[in-house]
Amino acid sequence: MQKTELLERSQRPLPLSLLLMAAVAVHLPLLLMKLPLKSYDTNFHIFFASHYLHHWWDPWNPKWYAGFSQTTYPPLPQQWVAVVSHVLGLEMAYMAVQLAAILLLVVGVYRFATLWVSPRAASYAALASVFLGSESFLVYSAGQLGTTAAAPLYLNALPFLFSWVRRGSGRSFIKAVALFTAAAAAHHATLLFGSFFFALPVLALAYLDRDEDGERVAPPAFFARTLAIIAIVGAAIAVVLLPFWIALIHYPVTQTPIPHPSRANYILSPQWGMNYFVVPYGALILALPFVFWRGSTEKHLRPLLLGFWVAFLLGLGGTTPVGPVLLGRAFNVLTMERFSYWATLLALPIVGVLAVELVARFRMRAAVSLTILAAFTCALAVGWTTYHPADAEDFDVSPVAAWLNRDGHDQYRYVTLGFGNKISRLAMMTDAGSVDGEWNSGRMLPELTRYGGGALTSSKYFGTAGLEALRAMLMHADHYGLKWVFVRDEYYDPLLTFAGWRPVDHLNDGTITIWSKDGVPPAQPLNAPQIPPHWQDVIWGVCPFGSSIVAILVLLIPEKRRQAAEARYPAVRDGELGLGRMVS
Amino acid sequence: MSDGSENGGAMLAVVLIAATIAFVVIGTMWPTKAALAYTGGQGLTSSSSTPEAAVQNLGDEIRASAWQKAYDGLANKAQFTEQEFEHDLKGYYPSLRTYATLDRFEVFPLHASDSDAEVRLKLYWSSVVGISEGTRDLHVVRAGDRWQVEWPIVKKPVVPPQVIPVNYLRWDVIYRGAGDDWGAQDVEAPHVRIVDMRPVERAEGVVILGELLNEDVVPAYVSVNATLIGKNQQPIATEGSFDKISHLLLPKQVTPFLINFPNATLADVGSVRMTPFSTLVPASADPVIEIDNEKLNPAPDASLTGQVINQSGQVVNVAHVLGTFYDSTGHLVWVADEYLDRALLPQTPESFNIHIPEDLARQISSERTIVSTYSSGGSV
Repeated sequence: MQKTELLERSQRPLPLSLLLMAAVAVHLPLLLMKLPLKSYDTNFHIFFASHYLHHWWDPWNPKWYAGFSQTTYPPLPQQWVAVVSHVLGLEMAYMAVQLAAILLLVVGVYRFATLWVSPRAASYAALASVFLGSESFLVYSAGQLGTTAAAPLYLNALPFLFSWVRRGSGRSFIKAVALFTAAAAAHHATLLFGSFFFALPVLALAYLDRDEDGERVAPPAFFARTLAIIAIVGAAIAVVLLPFWIALIHYPVTQTPIPHPSRANYILSPQWGMNYFVVPYGALILALPFVFWRGSTEKHLRPLLLGFWVAFLLGLGGTTPVGPVLLGRAFNVLTMERFSYWATLLALPIVGVLAVELVARFRMRAAVSLTILAAFTCALAVGWTTYHPADAEDFDVSPVAAWLNRDGHDQYRYVTLGFGNKISRLAMMTDAGSVDGEWNSGRMLPELTRYGGGALTSSKYFGTAGLEALRAMLMHADHYGLKWVFVRDEYYDPLLTFAGWRPVDHLNDGTITIWSKDGVPPAQPLNAPQIPPHWQDVIWGVCPFGSSIVAILVLLIPEKRRQAAEARYPAVRDGELGLGRMVS
Repeated sequence: MSDGSENGGAMLAVVLIAATIAFVVIGTMWPTKAALAYTGGQGLTSSSSTPEAAVQNLGDEIRASAWQKAYDGLANKAQFTEQEFEHDLKGYYPSLRTYATLDRFEVFPLHASDSDAEVRLKLYWSSVVGISEGTRDLHVVRAGDRWQVEWPIVKKPVVPPQVIPVNYLRWDVIYRGAGDDWGAQDVEAPHVRIVDMRPVERAEGVVILGELLNEDVVPAYVSVNATLIGKNQQPIATEGSFDKISHLLLPKQVTPFLINFPNATLADVGSVRMTPFSTLVPASADPVIEIDNEKLNPAPDASLTGQVINQSGQVVNVAHVLGTFYDSTGHLVWVADEYLDRALLPQTPESFNIHIPEDLARQISSERTIVSTYSSGGSV
């Protein structure tokens, strides 16, 4: 009898509360230390949130690119940061929203994994998500709030998709629509590619399992339900992100592609292989043979494996020709690390199986080894911000902001050189506008879009393209009211000297020189056609954020507690999953 | 699960893994353009089976800043150190070249035999002020089944110990007080005057040429803007002289200027409004730059060549040579410039070569050259 109980206990999933506590234990201290502030994009998201905080009903932001529309980027996580910042301030609000996304990922991975593997393996997969290298890489090194917020929403929507297509559950239909819409409002690329990597395998699973558990679903019903949810989700997303689509259609991203090291060949450029393969995958690399083997030999795992495989290949960037062939021009626009992120999420259910089998066979030795490997993976990704920092050097931009904000200096626009991604932080602190920025897809100034350089502040790193863009912008300084150049890199001094700029002041113990051009007229607001009309402002202020509120509300609707996993893995017992009570 | 399904699964795993490996091999053997951008153009394998291939590999290595690899592949590396090789390319003193990256290069075979060859390597350096060109004629020798480059090293110039008297003119400006806004000067702007101006239609658009004189007795920081006015009296475009001018003018000095209006046509232009701008600045006549051995070279490859010599004791990190070209009647024909990407050491000549458009070269009978400089401080 005791032996049976032990056996049953060894087959139970780990409690969700334990998984969430693990996530809190690992990530809360790191977030309280504001570690993401060192990342590439965190300040960019906070800058967007700052604009929503002060101008919720006006997505036209005049602080970058002499004015650009924030409707060019799905706003949900940033709007949540703006809302929460009323209580916590912008930086801690960002950390709170990021923590919520991490917790949602644990739940999402568990729910997604239960479609494919046993609840116990799913719980191991969810635990692994806490230590996932790609998650920590995106949170602490890349600062991709949109991607890391959208993926959990998407993962949580997929079991409802399965339930709807498989059984025709109306409640699941509503919940799936709400969560998919909220995911799209968080990040558009996740929606687009998630449909291929995540939703197609789930639909394939539902089709392959159509005769399971005594509730046979006829192929016509399957296809009708699939088409129905595609149509409704498509319509909902079209409405919620309408200003985004309008901006995209009227002003497609046609600018010259900007190089990104995630498109490098990771063998020929091993430093980028380390950054975009070893760090995000970590110890998961050791599990790849098992992922391929088990994903192939278990028939129902094959759709998941194929989704993983394609995402894995794309995540390898320029190491294979797959990315350029499959993505076409988009290969030169997208960054590839997100594909590795999705690939690792898709691999987690099978990794969960591996963990269960190892623990069942080797007991404590396996548990200890897996714990060490997981800790190493997470630590490497978190510590990577120290060994490969986004900013080589930290420095204070508040004196620059103070200088701009006094004596009418903010009547003119400015640009920085050698500030790295500090320009987002500076933009938050000053009233002055800049002709530079960090949101390349939102910029419309021809001087910036023509050459293929990134932010002007880092011009020299983009070679001829970056320097040509800088020269073009300086040539048209009068047109944009560009009077100030803040230089923290003497590399640019000869250009400014010969182009007619003069140093007029120094800040930060002489490490920052302010250059000025005489005769520049004060900056005028651009009467750009990209300025959204008022009705789009209202939609942008109501719908994306509203979609998340609707998603939260519909999740409260109780649903019959029945999952495909329960049929496949009857060992699951009532009361083991707090998750079931919460979301289904 | 049936055995058949398991066998099929095993086959699927093998196919996926094999395909993955094949894709990686293909991507590595024949990297994409995006991937090559991060290797300096180098693939996994590089053959030196021909003189051109050997020079191509050397160019790739220079572009990737793989100095050790480039140095190790040289036939005459015993004659100099790796550091000297790098400094020969990047400059011994801080200059435009020091911080430049090799944007691209071209290889031209000049002569070849079974044992050696001459190959021209044309290097295009991307510097902060634009692209600068450099050419090296390389001797390539066969070493077994491969070819190696003999690098024509140019050793560090040696400046002899000497005393250079400094007796240049200098103008200081005393402003109203510490609390004054730097921009609110209480003195009149120096008097400057456009002494010549001429619009020219070129293939790339309309170009405004001219000369600006500082008529005052104080130095002036100057710039010129031009606005093209259409025949309907509406402005077409406004552009500035940017770096095609010497912005610092000492008293009675003249600078040429050139203003580009890309995509404009002269037929649409009714008039041109010129707006010179000047402000009082402190200045000095140092460093004094002497221009020597100037020569107008006729077409083809029309150019103005010569040497500039730094007469001061300070290193000039960047020199900008502006040439003004006149026809036989003294009318302005063209303005052209060149940045010297090597530092000017005291008393050490440095050559310049300003390209002149072929179609204008025949009209030119005289020229005037001025040099503006940038120094980041320090002496030899």
